[in-house]
Formats: sequence, C-alpha cells, structure tokens
Amino acid sequence: MAKSYDYLFKLLLIGDSGVGKTCVLFRFSEDAFNNTFISTIGIDFKIRTIELDGKKIKLQIWDTAGQERFRTITTAYYRGAMGIMLVYDITNEKSFDNIKNWIRNIEENATTDVEKMLLGNKCDATEKRVVSKEKGEQLAVEYGIKFMETSAKDSINVETAFFSIARDIKAKTEKKLEASNPPKGPGGNKVDLKDTSRTKTNWLSRCSIL
Amino acid sequence: MASLDVESLTLDGKNKTTVLCSRCPSKILCPQVGTYVVKEFSLPSMHHKTEGETDTAEDVKDYWQVNDMYHFENIGFSKTIDDRKYLICADCEIGPVGWHDLNTKMNYLALSRVKHTDV
Repeated sequence: MAKSYDYLFKLLLIGDSGVGKTCVLFRFSEDAFNNTFISTIGIDFKIRTIELDGKKIKLQIWDTAGQERFRTITTAYYRGAMGIMLVYDITNEKSFDNIKNWIRNIEENATTDVEKMLLGNKCDATEKRVVSKEKGEQLAVEYGIKFMETSAKDSINVETAFFSIARDIKAKTEKKLEASNPPKGPGGNKVDLKDTSRTKTNWLSRCSIL
Repeated sequence: MASLDVESLTLDGKNKTTVLCSRCPSKILCPQVGTYVVKEFSLPSMHHKTEGETDTAEDVKDYWQVNDMYHFENIGFSKTIDDRKYLICADCEIGPVGWHDLNTKMNYLALSRVKHTDV
C-alpha cells in the first residue's frame, strides 16, 4: 500500500488542570459521548489527520491526563515531542502565572528545538475574563512563541492552533531535511559539514539518507 | 442488532467506502485501508452505563483490520488494559469502536460500531 502520510508529529498539551485541555482541545467536539467504560480507563492519545500544502500530516496528540496535578511532568512524557501547546484559562490568573513554570519544566525535559505555542483558552467566557489578551501576547513575545486565544465551546481557533503549530513543525522539519540532504546537481551540491542540524538526526531525516 | 451486509461493504477484501463515526461526522478510515477479518472478541458495550449497572459486553466478530495506527484518519486510544487499548472516536469519544493489540500492533475496528458511507 502507498504511504498514507507524509509527516508524523507528536504534540503535547500542557497546562494546569482545569484549563480545558481535555474537554476542549483534546476532544475537538463539545458534544462528547460520556461512556462510563472509556472514562474509567481514560484516554491515552489521539491521532488526527490534517492536510497542509498538499501534504498529509498525522498528528499524535497527548493529553497530560492528570499528571499536571503533581506540577511536574516527567521526561518520558516529553520524549519525541515535536510540538507543545501551553494552555491557560483566561478566567484563571493562576493558570496564566504558571505558564512560566511549565516553560521551565519544558526546558528541563524536552528537546531544545521543540515548537511551542501559547493558548489562552475559553475566550468565549468574556464576562469572567481576568487575563487580558494583551497579557497573553506579551508573554508569548517574551518567550518568542506564537499566541492564540481559543474556545472549543464556540470552536474558535482550536483547529487553527493545531494547523499553525503543524505548519511550523513542518517548516522546521523540511529545513532539517534539506540541510541533511541537499539538492544535488551542477552548482547545487554545496555541503556544509559544520551544519549543526546534521548532528541531531531525527527519524524523519534518517529516512531520507539512503 | 441488524445484521451486517459485509459483501456490500467490501471491495477486494477491504473497506469499499469511507468509514465514519456512528454518532458524529468524524472520518475514521479512508476507503481500502482496512482488511475485513473475522475475529471472536467480546467488546465492551458503547451505551451509557446507568448507576448500579455492571459493565456489559457483546460478542463482535466482523472487523476492519488496520495494520498501522497511523493509517487511521482520526481515532483515539484508551489507556492500556490487558495488553490492549480500546479505540474511540477522536471527536466525540464514543466507544469502544474496536481495539489495538499491543503485542501485534494490529488494530481492529468493529464494522457494527461505525458508519459506512454509501457509494
């Protein structure tokens, strides 16, 4: 059978409990089926397929599933992660303040080039808002990451956020691939052996070196 | 439960049409990705459990076998119990619609728990 996808990206959702990671971002549908059997076991991860610039991309999305209650997430959880959605609740100041701690946790455990994005969730709850959009934007600028406000209740920006992070990871991956496998031909075979991206081959770039 | 017309759902032993969630519009499989297999398996029920009721299961034998989990369009995986993970709809989380065998890495999607598009 033909390869059914072009890229596979592992994404994590991180943030304080109660910010809506599970019920909003992980579920994608407000109208969830509340099955006792499944809710007792719990959900591990989901696979979603999106298309970007004609490429089929598989997203494997993991929810922290309660681990965040211990205020720290283990290295194992971060393994292989290419993108992290940092989520806070715009109606909960503490969840916003904790983003800094989550970023520190990521820096200590995830690979340095992991793509990050800041999401201010529940932006439909305007009357209960305590964290302004500007504050979110400022924090994102401070860390040099993208920012968006989302609401699954009204399906605002949830899909866009996943597309955005996937697009950034794809661009990064393609850049790495190019660096490790430069186009050959007259005038096009310059290889920079000092290129640092060669030292960190991931499974995707390994596939291209035949 | 209405009996399945397996013949009309298969083409060359694989799923003829797109497979969708039975409850929401989520797309689970593209045509020709799952291979029809018969397996004896007791799959826990999908209905809401009412208080005091014990877990029920039904014998389901018709499945689409999917060799690689990334061949699914959209799907969710439960946590592990007894060397397997149960499959659920990635969008509305109805399930189990099948299971994933951790030893063989094979996935089995129950024909009776999903919707098949016409054509």
